[in-house]
Amino acid sequence: MKKSVYKSAMSQLRTSDDFKEATYQKLMLELEKTSHNPTNQKEPIKMEKSKKKLTGWTVGIAAAAILAVGVISVNQNQNSPASTPTNQGQTAEATTKPPIMGKVAVNIDGVISEVSADGKSFKVGDLWVEVTDKTQLGSSEPTAAAPSQELLNKEFKVGDIVSGYTSQDVSTGKVTADVIYNLIAPEKEDAGKPATTGKMAVNIDGFISEVSADGKSFKVNDVWVTVTPDTIMGITEPTAGEQSDELLQKEFKVGNAVSGFTTDDLSSGKVNATRIYNNFAPQK
Amino acid sequence: MYNSYELNESVRRALDLYSQSMIKIAFAYLKNIADAEEVTQEVFLTYLQKRPVFENSEHEKAWLIRTTINKSKNMLKTGWFKSRNPVPEDLSYLPKEENDVLQAVLSLDKKYRIPIHLHYYEGYSIQEIAVIMQAKAATVGTWLARGRALLKDKIGGLENEEICL
Repeated sequence: MKKSVYKSAMSQLRTSDDFKEATYQKLMLELEKTSHNPTNQKEPIKMEKSKKKLTGWTVGIAAAAILAVGVISVNQNQNSPASTPTNQGQTAEATTKPPIMGKVAVNIDGVISEVSADGKSFKVGDLWVEVTDKTQLGSSEPTAAAPSQELLNKEFKVGDIVSGYTSQDVSTGKVTADVIYNLIAPEKEDAGKPATTGKMAVNIDGFISEVSADGKSFKVNDVWVTVTPDTIMGITEPTAGEQSDELLQKEFKVGNAVSGFTTDDLSSGKVNATRIYNNFAPQK
Repeated sequence: MYNSYELNESVRRALDLYSQSMIKIAFAYLKNIADAEEVTQEVFLTYLQKRPVFENSEHEKAWLIRTTINKSKNMLKTGWFKSRNPVPEDLSYLPKEENDVLQAVLSLDKKYRIPIHLHYYEGYSIQEIAVIMQAKAATVGTWLARGRALLKDKIGGLENEEICL
């Protein structure tokens, strides 16, 4: 009985050398993501649902309790002749005052609308912010951007964008900044704006290791490059010299040095060439 | 922690044991190694997300193969797969006989080449293929017979000779 030729062919099929390792890494990354984001899992979603129900019940019971307390206190006030407006006021004050448990920090974030004459205070929204020697300039976080020169020089100007925070009471309308993270001068109209859209081009550069049967595709550095009718051949820049047939051969052969670029995604392993500059046999 | 460790181990083991089989079956479907590897990765991702429980290793392998077939079918249906110009897989490095047989099998309709692959490469019986492909055993038998007949036309063989794959 002859051995299975098909099985032998399939067994000899070349696959990526690092397939297992790459897949394992990818899977572990995915596992890490899932463990960091437990809402993707089924059980936590169930928990969320039950939490919502529980919250609903809690809110309902709390509302009923407040109503009941309100009704009782109104009745007590009506029935008690000893209650005076002063007492009522104190009670109201005591009940409306939030418990003081810590220091609240309020963000200072916005565009400076006014700057004081001495340049040490500025107005953001309706809040006057004073910068003193105690104000920390810049962020101490290791990944934070370096403070701007304007901030380091404490040059506060109308129109600048400022960010920071204060732990003082903002209701007074004037606070001292604890930290100013950054101060950014507005972009000038004539300044060139960075491009918001664009296409990335990747170089195709190397030696052809394989060529497809139809001769229209070739493999360079593990990437299959297909030359389509849209592919621009040669260098068409006005200052470029005349392209010789030797440097841009029409036929792609194994061992030829090829250069060009593509705007396709390389990760697929197959791209269409946007331009081919050269295709030549290296000198022996 | 233990579950996560156990999962890592089972994925690692499945990768070692079955990834090549899965790539080959996806290749038999898609005729392209890069796509086959992508599909195989997706299958392992599904394995990780669904965490299926298996009765034994054969059950696990059958599930992985079934999922690979389904994902390959899905990939064939996608717009980008249909619209692109496929680069034929270069199999010139294979010996001539192997290359000819593989090209002949790949040229068959997928309903014939998948049972042929499962039978001749994986060594599954008609009944086992029927379970994996969720088809009747008689149907699988017909697919195999027709596939073999078509291959006989393509790669030849003697009148009474069973086609040798």
